[in-house]
Parts: sequence; C-alpha cells; structure tokens
Amino acid sequence: MDGSVSASGQVAPRPNTRTPAPGLGADASHGAPDDPVWRWATLSPALLMMLLLSVLPLANLFLTSFYSVSWAGGRAVWMPAGFANYVALAHDDLLRAGIVNTLIFAIFAVGGQMLLGFMLALLCVRVNRARTLYRTIFILPILIPGIVVGAIWKLLLNFDFGFVNQIIGLVGFDPVNWLGAKETALASVILVDIWHWTPFCFLLFLAGLESLPLDIYEATKIDGATIWQELIYVTVPMMIPTIVVTFAFRLILAFKVFDEVYLLTGGGPGTSTEVLSFTLYQRFFREDKTGYGAAMSMSIIFLVCILLIFALSARRRAGTAP
Amino acid sequence: MREPITKRGLTRRDALVGLGAIAAGLSGKARIAAAASVVPITIVINQSPWFDSFRKTVELYEKETGNKVELDVNPFAGSLEKQRNSVRAGRGQYDLLIMNGGWFAEMYFGGFIEPINDIDPSFKLDPDVYTLGDTVYFDAARKIMVPTGKLMSVPISPLIPLLYYRGDLYKEAGLKAPETFAELEANAQRFHKPPGRYGIVQRGARGPASVSYDFYPYLFGFGGSIFKNQAASDYSVMLNNEAGLTALQYYLRIAKEAGHPQTASLEQAEVIQNMATGKAAHIMAVVSAWSQMDDPDKSAVVDKVEFAPAPHAPGFSTASGLGHWLGGIAKNIPDDRKRGALEFLRWFQTKDAQLANARFGGIPINAASYRDPMSQERKFRWMKPLADSLQHAVSVYQFPESSEVIAILELGLNQAVARNVEAAPSLNDMAAQIYGVMTKYGYQTAKLPPLR
Repeated sequence: MDGSVSASGQVAPRPNTRTPAPGLGADASHGAPDDPVWRWATLSPALLMMLLLSVLPLANLFLTSFYSVSWAGGRAVWMPAGFANYVALAHDDLLRAGIVNTLIFAIFAVGGQMLLGFMLALLCVRVNRARTLYRTIFILPILIPGIVVGAIWKLLLNFDFGFVNQIIGLVGFDPVNWLGAKETALASVILVDIWHWTPFCFLLFLAGLESLPLDIYEATKIDGATIWQELIYVTVPMMIPTIVVTFAFRLILAFKVFDEVYLLTGGGPGTSTEVLSFTLYQRFFREDKTGYGAAMSMSIIFLVCILLIFALSARRRAGTAP
Repeated sequence: MREPITKRGLTRRDALVGLGAIAAGLSGKARIAAAASVVPITIVINQSPWFDSFRKTVELYEKETGNKVELDVNPFAGSLEKQRNSVRAGRGQYDLLIMNGGWFAEMYFGGFIEPINDIDPSFKLDPDVYTLGDTVYFDAARKIMVPTGKLMSVPISPLIPLLYYRGDLYKEAGLKAPETFAELEANAQRFHKPPGRYGIVQRGARGPASVSYDFYPYLFGFGGSIFKNQAASDYSVMLNNEAGLTALQYYLRIAKEAGHPQTASLEQAEVIQNMATGKAAHIMAVVSAWSQMDDPDKSAVVDKVEFAPAPHAPGFSTASGLGHWLGGIAKNIPDDRKRGALEFLRWFQTKDAQLANARFGGIPINAASYRDPMSQERKFRWMKPLADSLQHAVSVYQFPESSEVIAILELGLNQAVARNVEAAPSLNDMAAQIYGVMTKYGYQTAKLPPLR
C-alpha cells in the first residue's frame, strides 16, 4: 500500500523515495531517440522470443483444432474438420463430468486451503520462538513432488492395508473405501490437495500478516476492541489484497490439477473424480485424438483466461494492481 | 599337481564331463551364431510384472553376443506416448518397440513398423513361436492380420490371464480346478470368508486397459464378443447380445456375492497383492504375476497357488483376451540399427533364449519351451495351463482406433462394477458408443437392437 493510515482513517501519500535503477539515467529515460526503427529494433528480440515461446504454439494448437489428424504410411494426414471438434465438445460426457468436478474441486480445495492457511498464519504470526522450525515443518508438503504425494496418500488411504483404515479399525469402525467409492473419492482427493497446498496459502498469509502496521493494532487495543473485532474489522480488511492474490493463484492452479487425480483415482470410480486436465489427457494422449484434443485445450485455455481476467480485475478492485 | 591324462587314465566320468562341456560350448556357440555382431540398439518398453525377466534376458543376450542394448523403461501409458513420438519424428529414437496388444495395430496401420523380411529376406519366424492370433502379420492392402500378410513383429511376451487359485484350500475341500463358470462361482462362494479372505478378487478400476482386460475371459468364455468378425473386416458391434449380458451379469454377481467389497477401485497390482497376501481364494490375472506367488519376500502363499485356464461356459472353450507384447522394428531408423534390432529378435525367439527367459521369471514365446522337461518342475506349474490356453486366446483389437474403444469399455464397465448402472443399459450404452466410433472411422459396422 502506497501510504499510511492516519488516526482519522485517511490515507496520507507516501513520499516517493524510489531512485532510478542503476544505468537508467536521465539520458536513458528521456533522451532516447523517438525513432520507430530504433524502438522496433530494441523490442524485436523480446517480441520474437515471446512469439516463439508462447504465441506460436498456441496458434498451432488453434489451427490444429480445426483438423482431424490420422496417420498412414508413416505420415500425418490432415483432414479439415471445420468446427466439428468444437461442436463435439458439447456432447462429450467425460468433459461435462470434468467441468463439474473441477469446479467442485476448485471451490472446496481452494476454500479449505485459504481457511486453514489463514487460521494457521494467525496462530503463528505472534510466535517468535522456533520460527524457522515451524515454518520448515509447515512448508514441507509443498516441497514434496506431486508423484510422491500421490504415493504417500495412496498407501495411507488403501482400503485393505492403509494406515488410515487401520486406525479406524482400532476404534471399532468398518474400513472406508476412501479412493474407490463415488461418495468419498472426490472428497479424498480434495483433502489430499488441501494437505498439499495449505502451506502455500499459509506462507503468503503469514507474510501479509507480518507486514501489517503494528500501530493500528495498538490503536484497536486502546479502543478496547476484542480479538474477534480486531480480526473482523482490522486484520481481514487489511489482508484483502493478499487474500485475493492467494485465491487467484490457487484457483488457477486448482483448475490445472492432474497429478493427484491421476495417481490416486485415475478419474474413477466412474467419472466421480474426472477433472478437466485428466479428460484432456485421456482424449488427447491416450486416445490420440489430436484435433479434438486441441479444441479441448483451446476451450480450457479460454476458461482459464476468463478466470485470470476475473482475478486481475478483483486485484484491481482490491487496490493491488501492480 | 594334476597329472596328465593318459589314454588308460581317462575314466567314463571324465568322458561324460568332457562331452557335457563340449555340448554346453556348442549350445552357447549355436546361440551366439544366431546373432551377428551389430550396432547398439535402444528398446522402449514398459515397466510391468515381467520386465525384470526381460531385462535379465537382454543382459544374457549382451553377454553371449557382445552386442549392446539400452532399455528405455516407462509406465504402461508412457511407453505408448514415447513410441508415438519416436515413430512420428523424422528419425526415430527407438529401434525396437515393445508394443502391447492394445496398440500394435496403430503402429502397423500407421506405417511405422518395418516389415521384418524387408530388412532381411532370409529371416524366418521359428515355427514353434506363437503367432498370437496372427497378430505378428499384417496385410497392408486388406488392412487385416493374416499369415499371408508380411511378418511385422516377433512376440516378446504372450500374456493372457490365467485363473490363480489356492491349491491348499482346494485340496482340503477335495475339489478340482474349476473348468466352468458355474464351478468357479460355487467355489468362490465356498471360500468367501470376508474380510479375512475373499472368494474372488477382480479388477474393476478404470485405467488404460484395466477392468476391460479382466472382463474379456468372461465375455469370450460365455461366447460373447465385441465385434462380429474382425478378420473379415466385419466390425458389427456384438457387445450387447445375450452372451455379453450373461457375461456382465455374472461378473457383477460374483463381485457382489463372493468378491472384494471395493472391486470398482481395484487395479492389477491390488488384485495380485490380495492373492499374494492370502486374502483372495481366486484371481483371474495376467500369467506374468506367477513369480510373485512363490517369492517368499513378496508372498504369504508360497507354493499354495495353482494355475488353470480361465473357466468357460458349457459348450465354449476357455478364451482369454490377448494382452500380449510384440517387438516391432521402427521404420524411421538407419538400416544398421534395423539390422541390430533384428539380430536381437533372431536370438530372442530361440528355444534356449526362451528357456532362460522362463528361468528369469518370464513367459516363453516358443512352444518348444513348454515341451521342455523344465515345464514339469513344480516352479513352472503355470506352463501347462498357459500352453492349453494360448491356443484359444482371442486377439481383441485389430484396428488402430482401439484406444477409443478401450476407453469406452473402461468407463462403462467401471460404472457397472461400481453399481452406478445396471448391466443391460451399460452394455447398450457402450455398444452405442463403440458403434459411433466405428462409424466415424468408416468401418463396416452395424448395431444390435438394445437389450431390455
């Protein structure tokens, strides 16, 4: 935030203390020749690189989505398909299940991670002893590769031999088929994702909380605010920018979930844990439907772009636009 | 100090030892003669229960011939992806492709495999090598797999499911191995004592080729099929006929009445694990898991598991679906690497190499291995039922779009096993989707009226 809050609640402008970056003197910022050739000459390497790395593959994917590709005599045979691949998306039951499950997954997994991460950050922000130790322990899950997370939880949640069912058995309950029953499979995957990514939210929230100005908290104490009032009227409003950024990050990543689903349930049972990335993998790679897979990819990219636009506009509204 | 051997001092025992050594030397030389010195090759393969035996067999090849082989090992689906990427490139990375029964057609039809006799016109497939539903041949003009077509590959592993059952329990109960589905059902129910032991543990999870592969012996054993006659290019969808319905109803019924409570989530590894830990009285699993049953480090039922051909309905024969592996040589590699890959296949198909393969825990592709005295050893008690079954094994897919059909079956069968859908509507739905796929790709197809 570029300013500080006065006792009356008004934001006072902060003096600009930024200094020009080394090497960017007055000549560099104002004296460069306003010559279009010079401008394009300096910009073109970066533009070319961007074109090569992002725009061209996307353009290729977009073009491919209007073809049907097969193989004969060791060569690809491209048949124009018009919008057929896009039309077929509307009739794909697997894709429909993928969209629904991804939405459920994103809402509950991200919601859970945000809530738990925020609570943990609130608990830890005032703890000064053994800071390094608890932070290391908390961030451990995000350091573990997805494939290892899958292996750990597949073993823990195994119906016959899993540790979780053994514990449940000790207290007299029947074993639960965490990953194999349609009632529990998606919830189990969501719980694993919450375990995996809550530390990410925790870290961002902790950094946000530590950057909040202490004088406001001193003022609320003087005003006799309870802990609850302090949280609702001071901490949460000031944390909104961090909350929005964290939410946007996690939401976009949640839409790309693949490894946990692939390893834990393979999209099953039935379509109960089918998510968008897994549907795409199934159609594009396993079934080798190149054109159709490209159309599905373009649609998913479009969907994520919409999310990104929402997230960016939310950031702007929250005053956190860069 | 050893004294020189005089004519008089040469005993009968010495003579026998000497003859044995000469025989052993000749045998080794014969095998070495079967493979010339060639450039190093790379084989792309998947990690599966039989991989370790294959690796050891490759090491034996390297030791005997001095030729070098690099193995690129991948998960099941990852191996297919790497093969596709390699064969579609201008120049292939892999020389020998280990292709599964579910995707070799894609490689043949796509023109990615070099016919073996185009590399070496003198190469002949050993007459004792299983041709596995003639899937080693391909008639490109007629787009079918028949012996009149070109030789495209050499079998690497003739995998089919066998019935694994607890011999000790059968002995106690005075029973013989089940031959019919009715016997299997009765015995599974008899030994069903959950949660300590399940009568039968089946695969129900959805995967690249999971529940469908487990279901094929039931479908074919009841006289059902997916298509009418692939060899005659008739792809009429027969899945939802009465035989298909009986098969699926049976599969679901034994899962419910004598099976694992969570069949819908079980993968191959878990099915095998249930047998090896003594929690299953029967499983229908790929033959290559045999070595795990007698491994004291992995099994609680050492020497207690017996093997039998998959049961069948009266009037039909045992009929497992082939889940075999074929070795095909990529077209887009230099000629010297093609010859290198062919030398490996030439060596690999011999009886001696296949006996060694079996000793390492693999499944021989050469019928002579099954007639060898070795097959009488207790350890190799799976060999006879396998040999009996192989002659009836069914080549399930002979067209390149099979992965789309497999995906339909995987989802549909998984939903049926999870009891989301009844057998008849499930079969109708799968048949309609398969018909849609075959129509889309222009195959001669038809559909049956829906089951009620």
